[in-house]
Amino acid sequence: MSRAASAARAWPYAALSAVALLSLAPLLYMARVSLSPGGDLPVAPADWFGRPFSLEHYRDLWNGGPMARFTLNSLIVTCVAVPIQILLAAAAGHALARSRFLGKGALLALATAFLVLPRQVTLIPLYLLMSRLGLLDTYAALILPHLAEPFGVLFMAHYYQTMSPELEEAARTDGLSGRAIFWRILLPLSGPGLAVVGVNGFLTTWNSFLHPLVLTTSESMRTLPVGLALFAQSEFAVDWGALLAGSSVATIPVVLAFAFFQRQIVEGVLQGSGR
Amino acid sequence: MRRPATGILPWAVCFGLFGLLPLAAAFALSFQDYNPLRPDLVRWIGLGNYGRALSSPSFWHALRTTAIFVAGTLPVTMALAYLVSGWLARIGRGEGFFRAAVFFPATLSMVVISLVFKSLYAEEGLWNAWLAAAGLARVHWLQDPGLALPSIMLMDVWASAGYYAILLLAARKTLPREQLEAARLEGLSAWTVERRIVLPHLRPVLLFVVLLNTIRSFQIFIEVFVLTRGGPLESTLTLVYHLYERAFYHFEMGYASAIAYLLLAFVGLVLLIQRRLLGGSAAGTPA
Repeated sequence: MSRAASAARAWPYAALSAVALLSLAPLLYMARVSLSPGGDLPVAPADWFGRPFSLEHYRDLWNGGPMARFTLNSLIVTCVAVPIQILLAAAAGHALARSRFLGKGALLALATAFLVLPRQVTLIPLYLLMSRLGLLDTYAALILPHLAEPFGVLFMAHYYQTMSPELEEAARTDGLSGRAIFWRILLPLSGPGLAVVGVNGFLTTWNSFLHPLVLTTSESMRTLPVGLALFAQSEFAVDWGALLAGSSVATIPVVLAFAFFQRQIVEGVLQGSGR
Repeated sequence: MRRPATGILPWAVCFGLFGLLPLAAAFALSFQDYNPLRPDLVRWIGLGNYGRALSSPSFWHALRTTAIFVAGTLPVTMALAYLVSGWLARIGRGEGFFRAAVFFPATLSMVVISLVFKSLYAEEGLWNAWLAAAGLARVHWLQDPGLALPSIMLMDVWASAGYYAILLLAARKTLPREQLEAARLEGLSAWTVERRIVLPHLRPVLLFVVLLNTIRSFQIFIEVFVLTRGGPLESTLTLVYHLYERAFYHFEMGYASAIAYLLLAFVGLVLLIQRRLLGGSAAGTPA
């Protein structure tokens, strides 16, 4: 191979290595600070590498600080909202793909429009609605808006359109009820599609900020992103170690989801997830 | 295939109650003087809120700040995403690793990203420490009214370029390999191939990605909330932050709803332009 050709091959690697370093370095920095003792930032370059390691901030997180509560709230909201989202998406997506009903076209159009709708538009009425229902500052207020999300439904409708209805038809001729078909045949067959819906639902729910900010009022109901953001604005000197430890805790589930479901996340993005 | 569509009901009810109803209610609110703390003073005022917004210096200031943010980040983000997607398409081995490294920040919470950059931008933060070590003066990244918005823009480019690079990479992969091989056999330079074959192929997706980025950038909020709270001297007061302040500090919920609908109108306009330029294909699915 000529020298020019091998340079042409090496160049993208060099450029991408720089890009990869730039995109991961801030996160490594976050992890490093969170694993150092004390609340100040490492200042001198020597300090940044030479600092001792300490689990102090994580121990504090665990031992009852507000962050433990924020984490618990985020876990509760995500663990309740995402499985329901998955079931709703399967049921509604299937109905959209296989049945005809009044208003189906309009519903499809509205759901599609919702994907690109700036969600801030629904913020104020949702606040007033939750306040009128007496649900402000409850888990219900944090969970319910996520169940309206149309992405999973549209994704599953498309998924079922490309799936042959033969098996369902056979089960129906065998006399299985619609409910039995849904639980025993449809759901097990939809694994790959539901994984896309689930992991994207997880990311939006776990990272969600504006609605939880407005729909909660007491510190004990804050989710992790909201709690972290407000904690950073406290009047007192910022405890960077604690803050970046909290940020790391908010990041760990995302890293795990990314490690196991990267392909599904990308597929969701390509299908126009309105994140 | 006639069968009851009961499966649609649970989601349709949620979508109606927590999606469509709030959407319609915001429209109704935008024509009212509505302070939830003073229910006795609630009244319909027609287009009053819209008139107030369009004649309010704060609204125009927020719109201008948002426009500067969009105009400043969009070209840089797009150029970076385009370059990175090209590099990713060209390498063979290791693509998976680099793709993951580039894409990963897009999955992170914007709050986390903002907090990390807040620590980097801090007066006593890493970047100022490096500047000091190099014998340079400290920079007030977030405290200088002339620098706060550019600092947020820099962070945003970092956070979103990888996302768009992945969208563009997927579009590059739909280009028939034989076409590229044929061009190469004809002895066309890499630059010519890029300009004459790849770029025309990517055009519709590029346009889609530009509009998607515009729509998303117009909603910038978290970055401002965490880093500057609209300051210093309102230099980072964006449209959605303005909306948030009006609605939840001043409880002017009718007025804030009008701002939300102006934002919606803008997004609708962008989509309309897209439909014109692309000839029919609606938003939702790129490529």
